[in-house]
Amino acid sequence: MKKRKKNLSAGDIAAYILITFMVLICVYPLLNVLACSVSEKSAVLGGKVTFYPIGFELGAYKKILGMTQIWKAMKVSIIATITGTGLGLILTVAAAYALSKEKLHGRKILSGFILFTMYFSGGMIPTFLVVKSLGLYDSYAALVVPSAMNVFNFIIMRTFFRELPKELEEAALIDGAGDMRVLFRIALPLSKPILATVGLFYAVSYWNDYFSALLYIQSADKYSLQLRLRQMLYAGELNQVSMAAEGMATQVMSESLKMASIVVATIPILIVYPWLQKYFVKGVMLGSVKG
Amino acid sequence: MNGKVKKKGALYYLKRDKWLYLILVPVILYYLLFKYLPMGGIVMAFQDYNLFKGIFGSEFVGLSVFQKIFKDHQFWNSIRNTLILNLLTLAVNFPLTIILALALNEIRAAKFKKVSQSLLYIPHFISWVVVAGIADNLFNMTNGTLNTVVKGLGGSAIPFLSSNGWWIFTYVICNVWKEIGWGTIVYLAALTGVDESLYEAAYLDGATRFQRIIYITLPSIKSVIVTMLILNISKMMTIGLDAPLLLGNSKVMSISEVISTYVYRLGIEKASYAQATAVGLFQSVVNIIILLLADKFAKLIGEEGIL
Repeated sequence: MKKRKKNLSAGDIAAYILITFMVLICVYPLLNVLACSVSEKSAVLGGKVTFYPIGFELGAYKKILGMTQIWKAMKVSIIATITGTGLGLILTVAAAYALSKEKLHGRKILSGFILFTMYFSGGMIPTFLVVKSLGLYDSYAALVVPSAMNVFNFIIMRTFFRELPKELEEAALIDGAGDMRVLFRIALPLSKPILATVGLFYAVSYWNDYFSALLYIQSADKYSLQLRLRQMLYAGELNQVSMAAEGMATQVMSESLKMASIVVATIPILIVYPWLQKYFVKGVMLGSVKG
Repeated sequence: MNGKVKKKGALYYLKRDKWLYLILVPVILYYLLFKYLPMGGIVMAFQDYNLFKGIFGSEFVGLSVFQKIFKDHQFWNSIRNTLILNLLTLAVNFPLTIILALALNEIRAAKFKKVSQSLLYIPHFISWVVVAGIADNLFNMTNGTLNTVVKGLGGSAIPFLSSNGWWIFTYVICNVWKEIGWGTIVYLAALTGVDESLYEAAYLDGATRFQRIIYITLPSIKSVIVTMLILNISKMMTIGLDAPLLLGNSKVMSISEVISTYVYRLGIEKASYAQATAVGLFQSVVNIIILLLADKFAKLIGEEGIL
């Protein structure tokens, strides 16, 4: 066995090469964007930039600093992400905790009530009309409330609560603690990994959300970051020439600006991600085990 | 609140578990308002829907809305595109994901493995808006990185984003790029459950690594592979709106228009609510049929159902 560990066999080498190759493919486009965003204009225009910057200038970032629409959109997305994640966690914990209790009568029907929506829905237009008739159209709430809870996250969390050691909870119940006390004092403190996982899933979905804003938001000052970013990348707000059609002449600055705005919109996720990574692998596993 | 409680002692249980029922109220309210109320809106698909008359005032017209959409070649086109894009993505992504998971499983250097996994998962968290922006940066005709390389080698620029065939290629690549790493998680979890003693025995018997993978590793995760395949096939008729809408452009509309983007254009841009709802309903019903069949098939071949 020692021998196996020391010497790399052909199979080992093949595995290393394959994985290194895939990692490079996954990372290269991101490095390219980062490199383009700080490179010299002429190098970017000539398509010379690969994964390291050619020259170094922060002009694009300086320009972004002065763009109020971006900061406004970022504020919208930050608020939507924070409230959406909070609301999502509250609803998901409530549903998952209550419906993980075997003693609860009607739990199967109520679970079915939630799970059914995963397989059948009214569709885009009826949902749109409901949101409109509730007076949420073109309001910040429309970015959060219609997608407040996610069935997949509910399944993950319910599975987690079911697997919590029952003894602790039972002891507390015998001591006269109510359900809510058990939830807050015993269940939740043991649930940090799953709260982190589900919280990350909600946060990423709100941060990356493009569709809700496209569907429900009309006034430009309420655009989410992704919608604003899309508009900047394609509608030619950054430069005078429309970028929508391929092959059109582009201004050099705008290319770096585009890349810089992509970096600005993506960095927050990449900052949060490593801290939560150790949790979500387990979370995904729980989700794949059907409850 | 809960009508299905057994008659005997319903009140007792309601009182005993009042807090649990109480915290469920907002959840139920959410689902009623945003999921079940829209299901009621499906009747629009059977109406000559008029925004001012509303659902209750509009006239019922039977299946004539469906007759109309079934005659629309754009409708069939969007279904065809949905199936083509899903099938091709699955055909490339599915085996590659398994191969990548197997390769990761063979790595014994813990640090290398962990770092590569972290990096491989990143694209899953990148928004489609950003992916489309990056794709434009890499693939566009004038100064895209890839075309610069192609031109440097003496070739002519490839229309990655503006010809139908190449656009499919770009679409599949972007999807694979985004999800391949994330997809390995399920398999890696299944792989940790494989009995070590099987490998020891195989090793002592002189089996090569390749033989071990073929005869031990793959069979032990077979049921996960089959379940994932069935799960994916059951989603054949569904593509989220983001990817085709954001990667697409007017030049490749005839291939990038899938059911969800078609519903969006029909319903939101043209305000043909009844037709868009009918298309959505058709998709939902087909989805359910495929799902039930897939579930039945899974059970038939002795796997766990997917429902």
